[in-house]
This record gives sequence, structure tokens and C-alpha cells, in this order.
Amino acid sequence: MTPAQVGSDRFTWRRVTSSRSSEVASAVGATRRRLSYVSAAMSVSAVFVLDLKGKVLICRNYKGDVDMSEIDHFFPILMQQEEEGLLNPVLSHGSVYFMWIKHSNLYLVSTTNKNSSASLVYSFLYKLVEVFTEYFKELEEESIQDNFVVVYELLDELMDFGFPQTTDSKILQEYITQEGNKLEVAKTKVPTTVTNAVSWRSEGIKYKKNEVFIDVIESINVLVNANGSVMSSDIVGSIKLKTMLSGMPELRLGLNDRVLFALTGRDKGKTVAMEDVKFHQCVRLSRFESDRTISFIPPDGESELMSYRINTHVKPLIWIESVIEKFSHSRVEIMVKAKGQFKKQSVANNVEVRVPVPSDADSPKFKTSTGHAKYVPEKNLVVWTIKSFPGGKEFLMRAHFGLPSVENDELEGKPPITVKFEIPYFTVSGIQVRYMKIIEKSGYQALPWVRYITQSGDYQLRTNT
Amino acid sequence: MPYFGSEETVKELKRALSNPNIQSDRLRYRNYIFRVIRSMTQGLDVSALFMEMVKASATVDIVQKKLVYLYMCTYASLKPDLVLLAINTLRKDCADPNPMVRGLALRNMCNLRMPGITEYIQQPIMTGLRDKAPYVRRVAVLGCAKMQRLQTLTEIDATIVNELYGMLRDPDPVVMVNCLRALEEILQAEGGVVINKPIAHHLLNRLKDLDSWAQSEVLTFLLRYRPRSEDELFDILSLLDGFLQSGHTPVLAATLRLFLQLAAEHPAVQVDALVRARGPLLNACGAQSRELRFAGLCHVQKILKSQPGQYGAHYKRFFCSYSEPSYIKFRKIEILVELVNDENVGLVLEELRGYCTDVSLELAQAAIAAIGRIGRMYSEKCLDILTGLLGLKQEHITSAVVQTFRDLTWHCPQSTVLVCRAVEGCEETIQDAEGKQALLWLLGVHGGKINSAPYVLEGYINGLKSEMSSAVKVELLTAAVQLFLVRPAEMQDMLGRLLQYCIEEESDMCVRDRAILSYRLLQCGVAETRRVIQGPESDPSMGVIIGRPEEPVSNWVSTFNTLTPLCGRVTSPEPTTSGCTNHTTQNVVADPLAGTSEETEVYTPEDKQGVIGMSLGPTLLHEDFERLWLELKLSLRENLGFPGPRSSPETLQAALQLVKMQTLAFSRADTLPWKAYIYTHCSGTLVLAELLQPTAEPESDGMVLSIKQKPEDRQVLQEFVAVLKTVLQTLIKGTS
Repeated sequence: MTPAQVGSDRFTWRRVTSSRSSEVASAVGATRRRLSYVSAAMSVSAVFVLDLKGKVLICRNYKGDVDMSEIDHFFPILMQQEEEGLLNPVLSHGSVYFMWIKHSNLYLVSTTNKNSSASLVYSFLYKLVEVFTEYFKELEEESIQDNFVVVYELLDELMDFGFPQTTDSKILQEYITQEGNKLEVAKTKVPTTVTNAVSWRSEGIKYKKNEVFIDVIESINVLVNANGSVMSSDIVGSIKLKTMLSGMPELRLGLNDRVLFALTGRDKGKTVAMEDVKFHQCVRLSRFESDRTISFIPPDGESELMSYRINTHVKPLIWIESVIEKFSHSRVEIMVKAKGQFKKQSVANNVEVRVPVPSDADSPKFKTSTGHAKYVPEKNLVVWTIKSFPGGKEFLMRAHFGLPSVENDELEGKPPITVKFEIPYFTVSGIQVRYMKIIEKSGYQALPWVRYITQSGDYQLRTNT
Repeated sequence: MPYFGSEETVKELKRALSNPNIQSDRLRYRNYIFRVIRSMTQGLDVSALFMEMVKASATVDIVQKKLVYLYMCTYASLKPDLVLLAINTLRKDCADPNPMVRGLALRNMCNLRMPGITEYIQQPIMTGLRDKAPYVRRVAVLGCAKMQRLQTLTEIDATIVNELYGMLRDPDPVVMVNCLRALEEILQAEGGVVINKPIAHHLLNRLKDLDSWAQSEVLTFLLRYRPRSEDELFDILSLLDGFLQSGHTPVLAATLRLFLQLAAEHPAVQVDALVRARGPLLNACGAQSRELRFAGLCHVQKILKSQPGQYGAHYKRFFCSYSEPSYIKFRKIEILVELVNDENVGLVLEELRGYCTDVSLELAQAAIAAIGRIGRMYSEKCLDILTGLLGLKQEHITSAVVQTFRDLTWHCPQSTVLVCRAVEGCEETIQDAEGKQALLWLLGVHGGKINSAPYVLEGYINGLKSEMSSAVKVELLTAAVQLFLVRPAEMQDMLGRLLQYCIEEESDMCVRDRAILSYRLLQCGVAETRRVIQGPESDPSMGVIIGRPEEPVSNWVSTFNTLTPLCGRVTSPEPTTSGCTNHTTQNVVADPLAGTSEETEVYTPEDKQGVIGMSLGPTLLHEDFERLWLELKLSLRENLGFPGPRSSPETLQAALQLVKMQTLAFSRADTLPWKAYIYTHCSGTLVLAELLQPTAEPESDGMVLSIKQKPEDRQVLQEFVAVLKTVLQTLIKGTS
């Protein structure tokens, strides 16, 4: 067992006396006390996939403690709530709870009659979506119907008796394949990974050329108020790997992590304080917690190694000033100014500024200093696209719309302006990969490649009208 | 759902599956099996093909096997006799050299939910528990639980239980967790799996090897363990510390709950744990998936009950985003109300004001109500915003604002003047029943301060015929009578018309009865009417709000990380909101008809004096008091040893009302002998008291307290005397 957390000042951690297995065995059975009932952590009685009309496409009864026909109550309740504007992700009917999520044109619903942990059940439903998506590229009604055999197979492996079993799609893909539908290649072997010590990587992988590609991607979330003040901003980063390495390599990743530099007493150059660091299961958490080393045996192919969040005040990289004037019964005039607030050397690519317009607007006219603007009537938006936007530059777009003299009575919300962009070779936080060490017992040479991208996440600027 | 042509399809499939030509062509055979499963998925009853499907299970093709097993599990309960035919194949598969096949067969055998299957599956399960492949062991362990479920009435098999406890040491983490899960099921009647010290430590040590599902579950199981010593407790806490920062929300929530429950005796540790988990929890509130975000918000809301200050600096995280579903927005608004403080109040109100004009009516109204609740502490700022909203002349906004005003004057009397000024002229915009009721309540109770009050009421009285809601009519009656007491000249004529209409033409019995009641009351004279109908203008229990009361963690920790926090009503209206609408109504009903006092209790807050719950209602009439006073024996007479308070009778009355004692009558301050009569209801008894200051020389002699009680209750009596003494002494100190 390893120490808990270096930073914990309050609790002086000590080892809990490690129990020998004999003790466990001897202590059991004999003492059966009556205990107060603690609600079960995980409890899924059955899982259903419904289409938009509430018809069950596929279902799996895991536990048999809730009548399968209970699902018939789900959709009417959902519809009723939607009408009242009081939709809730937990619905109940009698003693049965429905927890549901919606994905494209599907509802994924789980039933239970226990007071279980809601977030655990939602996480599982999202896991289903993730696994299905990896199998079928897109999870939607059609892909479920076309692949019902695989769906049944997956549902069988993902969960047993209401408890999650094997949920890693990489492992599942080793023994449940869509090609299994063709008789010849049906696999019948349990992959070693199901029970391997290293459950995320099979043995005996071979590549001619050993390479690792590292992508450092940072998304910026910004919310700017109508009067131009930044309400909230944060950075969500992720480090993705594409591993093409033979054998069972040991990798070590070095970042300019502030805590690490403080630990080792170095204080050179820019460092980054990461928060809420989440790792792929392959990373040895104990090592990270004790000396901030990120060491791991990587999964083969593409995977997300880690993600983090940085909660600093970021200057919005693309700043938008907008004037939207609405002259009732005649016209709307829009003026949008976009300014790149990043280094001159960098260039933002594929910038899209999406400006909302009233739903009854017509006859658009645009004038832009660069790029081109397009009216997307089905979304009530003007999309202003700028292919390449250098730092420090400022661009302008004017739009003119007519309004009908008979005005739309319906109240419309005030959707914000949203911006999409991508800035390569640059991270806002300044995070850097200092090294990537690759050690494999056969001693081959491998090349790591690094790429940095900053992109927009949830980037919203509220407007006045 | 059998549909047209289903019988045909089943027949066709049956023919195809039993056709030897097709049987010999594996690919075609398999395609027919796929068709059977597809029909089953579509809801067609294909149970008639059971026989043919059982035959198809004997194959080397694992996908076909899986599908046939799935078919069997679906229809097993319909064809129990035919299932037995399949048992043989299944048992043979349980001994297959391929662990995948063994696991598959065992799992499906245990899934055949039909009576009598246990005798066939027991042996394979026991073998499976000792299988060398962890995959099979995982299945076998859960198989034990499935078996127990099938035969709930029979005795728990001790050998299996011991075997499972022993298998907690299994090297495979999933097998270990499955053991816990299975034991929990099997031992449900005895309270579930027992976590003793060695097991607890074993689980703690292996926590790191588990996947996040298992971690959350093990952490929940660990809730049952109570460490023996302080040292052990802190060792466990420091071990768990890392999980408190987990980015995986379910693990984080489970850890936090375990922390809070383990450290129940150490409030400081609980506070620390909540602080340490704040960052990850805030992230959960911004999670990608809406449902997890919602779950995070619900849990933050719980924590806010105990630590309102903790999230104050992070208020911006709870601002609504345009695309969020309304259930998230409602929660966020509620949270904003709870975390408001001196620093952030300005920005929070500004944000909330933005929501007031949202397209969604529900959201706009929730935001307005939220501003009203913040108004109880920051009344000026909020009144400004609310008054500004009236200028928009939007039906739903005005209605919500007026309802908020009503609650605000009830809870926060100092806002009355501004409210009275603001509500003038908004009667034209209000169309819904709730808004009208709120406006009428304001006009009735504060009509004296609203210039146009009689004219507004006149408008309502003139339009009475077209009014649909009887609640509005009842409220109108009350308001008219109340306003009549204050401004008789302007009201007399229209009140007459109103009563006449309601008594003679109204078809709703409640309205009619209320009108008759008002009429008779007025016949008794104005003084009597005033006494009955005029309740307090604001919540008499309200003192100055110093801060929000902090709920102890233990109030909510037992439901933390369960479904309960999510199932609460999305917009929880305060009980007082509905309470004060009925308030005037309540007085009238409770009095002459001696109605039930249950509802009155709703807005009687917990007695601050704590020990005994005294309450004001139901009101006692002078005559009743007199009768009782003469009837009852004296329970106690005591010389208090200090003189009567020289403060004004109003102060005394108010002070006593604070501790829920009602003053019925008292002599003027300067007369002697000075007397006061008090009564209160308390744990089922009625306490009547007389205070008497007999002589002219207050310093020499103390007051005499006489108490009569029905029925007698010594303990209550003592409490009552103690509380009364405290109040009187406080008043004396205050005046001297």
C-alpha cells in the first residue's frame, strides 16, 4: 500500500495493518450480525434502449426483480413531464425508478427499485453509449437495429446480474467482433486481457517502426456577459496517445508540472499547476501521488492518457464585440468585431463566429473585412467563417436582415454568440511535454512525436438583444 | 405485441429450422436463428420455436450459442419442461475446455429464471467457483446470488456463504467485488454482507486495484464498518484521502459519504473533508453529461445546507448556460439563492434578473421567486429589481412578482412601504388565479397604505361574474372585509354588493359559506370582526435574520450518493408561501368554528426555547377563557419575587408571542393592581396564567403568578414558568 496524498496536511497517514489472508478467512462466516440496511451502491434491474416514440428496440433483464412491463409507464411519464416543462432525469412509477439518458435518437433507460447511487448508474449508461459508439461509429436507432446481435453480446458482457463486469471497449473488441457475424472468423478464445495483469494491453504486439504520437489538446470554456465582462473561464486539457509500439513497453512522460518542479526544487521556466488530473487506468497512480511521475504501459492504438483542468482566468483568445440592433417591423442590423488576443506568430484556423438572428428574419446582406458569412435559417444563425486568423488582428462583419411587418408573436430567447476555432502549435496554459521515455526489454529505439492544439470548448458570449 | 402475420412468420421459421437441408448448411441455419432473435426483439412471440432452438444450441459457433441461450432465458418461464432438454447441453458446455464457453453456459444457466432449476445448477456453480479461469469464477460467484434469488424461501446455504467469504481473497479484483455483491444478495435477510475488521482492511488495501465501478461499490460496503479506535479511524481516513480527489464522480461521492459517516464524531474532520472534495464536486457540476451534472448539483445543494459559506466564492459556476435543460437551471437557481453573501449578491442578482425575462415561463417565475427569497436578506436591492420587472407589463412576470411581494411582506415587514407603492396599477396585467390571490391578499392586509386599493377591489367586484376561480373569490371576500375595517366609507357600498352577490347568486358552496360567515361576523359589530379577521401583517415568529441556520451533516448524509437527493421536487415551494395565503382565511375559520389547528402549525416555527413545543393556536375566546378560569382548580401559585415590567403592553405582548404565549388581556401600564392574562397550548395541554401586581409599591413586593392547566402536566407547567420568568426578567432588564 502506498501513502495517500502528499498534500494532505490534516491526516498523518500511516499504514493500515495489512491483513493476512488467513485472518480474513478465519473471521468470516462466524459473525453474522444484524446490520442496518445500507442502500445498495449499484443496482440496475434492467436496461432498455428505446426509440424516439418510446418503442423498446432492445432490452436486457439483468436481475429480474422489476417487471419488464414497467417500461410501458416510462414514456407517458416522460411526455407528461416534458409538456409541463418539468423534465427530470429520474422518473418514478410506484416503487420503480427510471434513470434515463438521451443519445441522438435513442433513450437509454435503466430500471431499479433500490435507492442506488444515481451518478453510478448514469456513468454506466454513458459507458454503454461509449462502448456502442466505438463499435458502430454512430449510436442511433439504425445502428442498434442493424447490429442487434452484437448489442446483445455486449450487454451480456458489460453487466451481469446488475453489476458492471468488463466495460473496457478495447478488451471487449478482442472477443466480440462485428465480423463474428461471418461464420469463419468467429473467435472463441477468451483473450488473455480479460484476466491479464495488464488488462488493457495484449501481449505479442509487433510493429515494424516503433512510434508514439502525443497530442496535447486544450479546450477553452468561456462565458462572457452581455456587458463584456468574463463571467467564467477555464481550460480543459487532455493528452492523447497513439501508440504503435511492440511488446510491453514502459513509458514515462515528463511535463512541466508545477507540483513536480516544486518537489524537486527546480524552478526554471514556466510551470503549470494542473487540477483534477484524471488518468487512464494504465497510469500507476501510486507513483504519481508519491513523486508525480507519470509512468505506464500504454494501451495499443489510440487512447486518452490523461485529462486535467486549469482554473485560471484566461483572456478570451478570440474577443467578440457585437452590436445587434433590432428595428421592429423593418430590419435587424448586426455588427460584429472579432479580435485575436493571442501571439502574433500563432494563427487560429477555421474560425467560426455564430451570431443568432431572429427566426423571422429574411433577405440577408453581408459585408465582411475577411472570410465569408452565411445565413443558416434552420438554426437562426449567421455563421462567419475565417479560414485563417492571425494573432493580434481585428476583423469586422456587418449583416443586414429584413423583418416582416407582421411580427412573430412568439417570444424568443437570447441565444449567445458562440465561437469555434483551433490554434495549432500552442497551448494556453503553457503546458509542455519535456520528455517521453520508452523502455522495452528488447531495447528497440522508438520515436515520440508531440503536437499541441488549442481549441474552443464551450465558448459563449451573451448578447444584449 | 403480436401483429398481423406473426403466426405465419413463426410457422415459416419453424419449418425452416426443422428442414434438414437448412440444418446442414450452417450459414443458412444461422441466418434463420438470427431471424428468430430479431423477431423476438421486435416483440413477436416466438416461444413456439423452443424445441427447434434447443437443438440449435449444440454448436461450436459461439455467437449462435449466445443467441440461443438468450432465447432460452427469455422464454424459460413459459416452457419449463422444454428447458430441461437444454440443461444437458448447458451442463456439457460447463465442462468445455474453452473458459469462454464455460462462463457463457454457466451464466445463462443461472439466468434461466424458473422453479426447480436449482438442483441442476448447484453442482456447476460449485465447480465454477473453483475454476482456474477468473472469467468463469466471476460468473459462478454471481451465480450463487442468482440461485439464492430463485429459492428465496429455503435456508441459506452456509457452505456457499463461507466459500464466498473465503473468495474475497481471490486475486482477480472483479471476482472479489462480485463476492461482496453476491453475499449482499444472499444475506439480505440478515442485513447483508458483514464487514469486520480483517475484511475491511483487506478491502481498503485492494481498493487501488479495482475499476471505478467496483471502487464505488466497495466504498459503499465499507460504510458498515465502524473502526475500533481513533487511530484506526484516522488511518483509514488517510488511506481514503486520495479518493476524495477522484475525478470519477461516483467514486468521489461514495468516498465523501464514507468520510462523513466515519468521522461522524469529528465535525472538524467532516468540514475538512467537504472542503477537500469541493473542487471535484464543482467539476461534477460542470460535467459534460447533463445527468451527472444534475446529480452533482443536487449533492452540492445538500452540502450547502450545512456549509452555506463554502461555495459562495464559486457562484459563477452556478450561472445557467443557454443550452442547459430546465431541471439543471432550476437547481442552479436554488443553489444561487443559498450561497448568496455580501460579496456576490450584486452579481448574483444581476444574473438572476437576466433569467426573469427568459422565454421559459417556469424559469422566469423561478428566478423571480429566487430574487424574492434573497430579498429577505437584501431587501432593497431585490425590491428595485422586482419593481423594475413590473414595468415590463408581462402577465406571467407581474403575477410572479406580486406573489413574491406577498411573501416578502410576510417575512420581511420593512419592505411593506415599497411594495405598497409598487403594486399600484399592476392589477391590469395580472390574469392568473395565483397572481390575483396574491394581489388581493396585499390589498386586504396592507390596503390602508395603498391609495387605489378600494378602486382595484371595485374592479374585481364588478367583474365577479366572469371570475372562474373560487379561491380568488374567497380571497376577495376576505380582502374586502379587511379593507372595510380600515377604510369603511369607500368600501361599504361595494362590500354590500359583494356579499349580496355571493350569498344570493354564487353557486360555489365554499364562497357562499364564506360570504355568509363574513356577513354574520359583521352583524356582531366592527370590533368583533376586527378581532377575528385581522391577523398579524407579517410572520410573528420572524426575528432579525442573523444568518442561515446550519443543518448538521448527519441530517442528510444517510441519503448522500443515493437517488434521494435527485428525486426531491425540482422547485420546492416554501411551506410559508402557501401558508400565508391562507393566513387570514385561517384566522376566520379557526376561530368561531373552532376548526382544526393543524394548518396553523405549518408556519409556527420551532420554538426557540426548545424544550417544550408551545403554540399559539387555536385562539381562545374571552368567554372561553373566563369559563375555564372559573372551572379549573389552581395548579400553581407563586410569588415571582420581582416586579412587573414597566414596558408598554405591546412590547410585553410581542415578547410573549415570540415564545408562543398569547396575551388575552392586560390592564394599562400605570394602573394598580396590574393584571395580565396569558394562555398557551403546549404538548396537548392548555395553560392559563394570571400575572398580578397587587400593591402600589412595586419594589417591595413581587408579582404573583397563578396558573391553571387542563389537563394537568407537571413538567409542562415547570417549563412554562421557567420560560415566562426568563421573558419577564429580560423585559425588566431592558426597561430599567
